[in-house]
Amino acid sequence: MLATVRDLFNYNRQFRLGAILVAAVAGMAALSLASPYPPLDTFVVAPDLPPSLAHPFGTTSRGQDVFWHLSFAIRNTLLFGIVVALMSRVLALAIGLIAGYKGGWLDRLLMAINDTFIAIPLFPILVLVYFVLREAMSWAVLAGIMALLGWAYDARLIRALALSLKTRDFTHTGIFSGMSTRELLVREHLPYVLPIVFATSMNNMNWSIGLEVTLSVLGFTDINSPTVGGMIYWANQHTALVAGVWWWIAFPVLLLVALFIGLFLLAISMNEHIDPRSRLARIGAGGGA
Amino acid sequence: MSGASADAGAGDGGPVLKVEGLKAYYRTRHFGSAREVRAVDGVSFEVRANEIYGLAGESSSGKSTLIKAVAAALRPPLEVVAGTVTLSFLGTDKSIHQATAAELAALRWRKLSYIMQGSMSVLNPVRRVRRSFEDFAGRHLGRNAGFKARVLEHLALVGLEAAVLDAYPHELSGGMRQRVSIALASICRPDLIIADEPTTALDVVVQKEVLDMLRQLQRQMRSSLLLVTHDLGVHAYLTDRLAIMYGGRLVEEAPTATLFRQPQHPYARHLIASLPRIGDDREMGSLPGSPPNLAEPPSGCRFHPRCPLAQDRCRREVPVMTAIAPAHKVACFAVGGHA
Repeated sequence: MLATVRDLFNYNRQFRLGAILVAAVAGMAALSLASPYPPLDTFVVAPDLPPSLAHPFGTTSRGQDVFWHLSFAIRNTLLFGIVVALMSRVLALAIGLIAGYKGGWLDRLLMAINDTFIAIPLFPILVLVYFVLREAMSWAVLAGIMALLGWAYDARLIRALALSLKTRDFTHTGIFSGMSTRELLVREHLPYVLPIVFATSMNNMNWSIGLEVTLSVLGFTDINSPTVGGMIYWANQHTALVAGVWWWIAFPVLLLVALFIGLFLLAISMNEHIDPRSRLARIGAGGGA
Repeated sequence: MSGASADAGAGDGGPVLKVEGLKAYYRTRHFGSAREVRAVDGVSFEVRANEIYGLAGESSSGKSTLIKAVAAALRPPLEVVAGTVTLSFLGTDKSIHQATAAELAALRWRKLSYIMQGSMSVLNPVRRVRRSFEDFAGRHLGRNAGFKARVLEHLALVGLEAAVLDAYPHELSGGMRQRVSIALASICRPDLIIADEPTTALDVVVQKEVLDMLRQLQRQMRSSLLLVTHDLGVHAYLTDRLAIMYGGRLVEEAPTATLFRQPQHPYARHLIASLPRIGDDREMGSLPGSPPNLAEPPSGCRFHPRCPLAQDRCRREVPVMTAIAPAHKVACFAVGGHA
């Protein structure tokens, strides 16, 4: 595992750049632990100061230091993506493996639900949920809802793999040797699909963070817990761009772009690593890896 | 490996496996019309203790269906319609198809084991060989300290080093993979091992090694082996007794040497005559026609449309396996024993 990461880092430029970008964003999130200001306090510094040595990213019109506030915001946003990815992965794995292996009416039922989730438009639903829940809408509730909405594509992918795994001889051997369905899925099939799931989780994080930012910018989330989208929402509320406080919007946007590109590069380089054909092509073309 | 003397006396006990009148059909329904493929249609034979019993037949003769039915590894649309399969270790009063799921689970791998066809996909490509042993055999042997010693000891028996345990299947050669899957199937020292084309994917040199190893293993464990393959060379090399299958039925059964020297059934005669011999430059004749469609098999003897000796009776009646000599049975009206 570690050797794989090291090789990818040494030989795959996309992976290297992606890893560096994600590590930088994660480092920014980790800095929140050292922040001199509590995340929700306002007017702790002079408002509307441009970037300087004392305030590297400037200060907001609400008297917050952009750098330190952003560290809290990116921490929440990153955690949001990870939590949504983890929860939806569990759903996608369970549903995909069971539907593919069991087949029959169970497969049809699960895939009918799956296709419903693929077909329904998510954004209006999330806005609707916000208007229904209002005050009750918190970071955790939104993460739960996103996880419930975000498993469908992967469940289909995993089901397709499970369909093929089901007919392999080692599955028959497992059944013949007396493995239970649960053991068979966890011990034989799960390790097979895990690398692919790992690659798609990056995409899932991008998807969930993107939606969360969209909702936050529009104010359809809990605006009191600092997130990157929430920062942009407040900046818009204070007409930061008109007022010339560009750093209030520019730095959150830059950080998000870095995160998106980083996760995307990780996802495609993982994809390439998992798909042996593209690996072979790279060996043939580059002669290096 | 001192006790592995080849003269231990093959088949020196009572039957381990007894199949009687077994019929296994594939039954499907498509838009109201039922279709029935009679892949195994009235097969009887015995496998004795400490014996290698061969089952030969061309593709679609029902070999694979037969071993699925014998191992009770049935999945729809395959059904056992009639007949019994009794195993000495299950109690001879009961067919394996009447056994409960718990009885079957206690039986499989420990008493009755199965070597899969080919060697590419028997092992999980993303699990180390060690994990495959733990997954498949661990439950039967207990995952304790003794387990690893037992695995190592058994690997040595099939000529493999401990290092293969840490390898992934793709890191092993085809022959090594097949040895691993044979070791997996035999580690519990089962009474009966069913081997389905165990050497098909291997080249002849590796094939011979694996076959030698298989025989040595069988002699040492004194298990019975039911070997199924279309490769008559493998049968000649390995089996003690041989049965030939055609169109879902057995047509002849005899000690292997007898069957190769004096085949009686017209199909068996053609089959044996078609084998090339060293220094033989005859042109091999082939039988007209093709194997029967088992969804609509011919009446009477299933070989009669292609048989040079066919009589009227062959079209109407089904010949039964009849002894023409001790241990030599043939199902044919044209051959001695049938009045």
